[in-house]
Amino acid sequence: MIEVQNLTKRYGRVTAVDDVSFRVERGEILGFLGPNGAGKTTTMRVITGYMPPSEGRVRIAGFDTLEQPIEAKRRTGYLPESPPLYPEMTVREYLLFVAQIKGVPSRARASRVERAMVRTWIADVKNVHCRKLSKGYRQRVGLAQALLHDPDVLVLDEPTAGLDPKQIIETRQLVHELAGTHTIVLSTHILPEVAQTCQRVVIINKGKLVAVDSPEALTARLHGATPIYVQVEGGDAAADLQGVPGVTRVAVADRHGSAIGYEVESTRGEDVRRDLARAVVARGLGLLELRPLRMSLEEVFLQVTTEEPGGEAAPAGEATA
Amino acid sequence: MSNVIAIARKELRAYFSSPIAYVVIGFFTLLFGYFYVAILDWFVRQGMLGGMGMTASALNVNQHFVRPLLLNLTVVLLFVLPMITMRTYAEEKRAGTMELLLTSPITDLQIILGKFFGALLLYAAMLAVTLVYIGVLFAVGTPEWKPIAAGYLGLLLLGASFIAVGLLISSFTRNQIVAGMLTFGVFLLLWVIDWIGTFLGPAGEKIVNYLSVVRHFDDFAKGVIDTTHLVYYLSFITFGLFLTAKSVDSERWRG
Repeated sequence: MIEVQNLTKRYGRVTAVDDVSFRVERGEILGFLGPNGAGKTTTMRVITGYMPPSEGRVRIAGFDTLEQPIEAKRRTGYLPESPPLYPEMTVREYLLFVAQIKGVPSRARASRVERAMVRTWIADVKNVHCRKLSKGYRQRVGLAQALLHDPDVLVLDEPTAGLDPKQIIETRQLVHELAGTHTIVLSTHILPEVAQTCQRVVIINKGKLVAVDSPEALTARLHGATPIYVQVEGGDAAADLQGVPGVTRVAVADRHGSAIGYEVESTRGEDVRRDLARAVVARGLGLLELRPLRMSLEEVFLQVTTEEPGGEAAPAGEATA
Repeated sequence: MSNVIAIARKELRAYFSSPIAYVVIGFFTLLFGYFYVAILDWFVRQGMLGGMGMTASALNVNQHFVRPLLLNLTVVLLFVLPMITMRTYAEEKRAGTMELLLTSPITDLQIILGKFFGALLLYAAMLAVTLVYIGVLFAVGTPEWKPIAAGYLGLLLLGASFIAVGLLISSFTRNQIVAGMLTFGVFLLLWVIDWIGTFLGPAGEKIVNYLSVVRHFDDFAKGVIDTTHLVYYLSFITFGLFLTAKSVDSERWRG
């Protein structure tokens, strides 16, 4: 549905995006991950046709964004980083205007606007002027605006920024609902969000694509590298944990009464969590907690976006999946 | 076409839901009234002198009242029109709504024309309000309507040319004040450009005279519609809108 080929974007001498290629299939949710200034927004702006690429090409449903911009834009909905609202319009007026310029036929406009407002939980503010909306509402009106014309492709630049936890969950659900019928690209720097919502992840750093894969596959590559926290009750389990094959180091992390917390490190590439649990239970001790110390995706993210001089190169991934 | 109308309506809504439209129309009408009274006073005194046989030519309402009135009015446009055009692009860029417009399935030209006609309609509304004063003229005297209509056509064209320049300048910046100030400066320059005519020599004089926006207006104020001037204003507007399109496009490439 979305085809990005050797996309390069330069601002003067600065290269914001450097030779990035990836594809997104119909109905898929692609997570766009990267530190601030990595080129996420620039890539999204090129995909949506806001700016042309310096080199390379982008196709939306087969339409080149440079050669057939109108056709490509008709099929794209875009929520920019800051929602593009007109302060002097009410929410409903604003959405009707957007429906008009997005090419929604005049008969269908009112019902489409109504539906989008219900879907994004903003029907209660439809007669409020955009300038008076809170950040959470602004974000959701922006989302409604992107959905209005029922585009094939949805590009969402940090859709959950500024929302409260309940709204974040609701927005995630909405994104899930939309996924089957729409192809979605969303950027975020909240890592759990990617693990929960996206089927595939693109990690971009300093304008370069460093990894493309499913969140599971990305984390699987690194299993074992992440220290694991184990909390045990009823006795010292250090020796038992140390005895598990693959474990390289066990250290006491904390003590709360009779519970002892251990930090367990293991060799890279091995998932020792099952064996650790078994070892503790076999001793007859109480296993209170067992979890990776860092979100595994966070670990991936740090690994691929941090330069390690002399270290192992970042996994390049399948640039064109 | 429907996209142009959509943008134009959006522009008008923005003017009328902010103080801009009211301030501009109020200010313009007030100054129009002031000039009206001042020139009327002069006209009446001239008439009295004429009655005493002290002036050579007979006074004519069209030539000696409406014409100076409209010529004076053009000065007011210098101040008022930048206030209308300064926000057109600058505000869209500042608020980030440019991203919405440029990622919608509409062309740059449709956006430009929409903004142009939005501003032009507000300006036309300003002129329409002043017709009340002209109506008074018809109630108490017998002016000819055709020269007045020509004069208003001239005002509309002159204003449209300024609006085209104003749009162009607004597309350069995201700061309304900068856009407004620059626009005013450029208008003023276009206004006085023929003052240095004699200094530039015969060829230069011809060029600056041609470029001067007001010089082309005088015939309209007299009540004459000359195709030279029509062509001048229409090409001025087209050129201004064309440059605006280029400016928006180049901004796209630069990012």
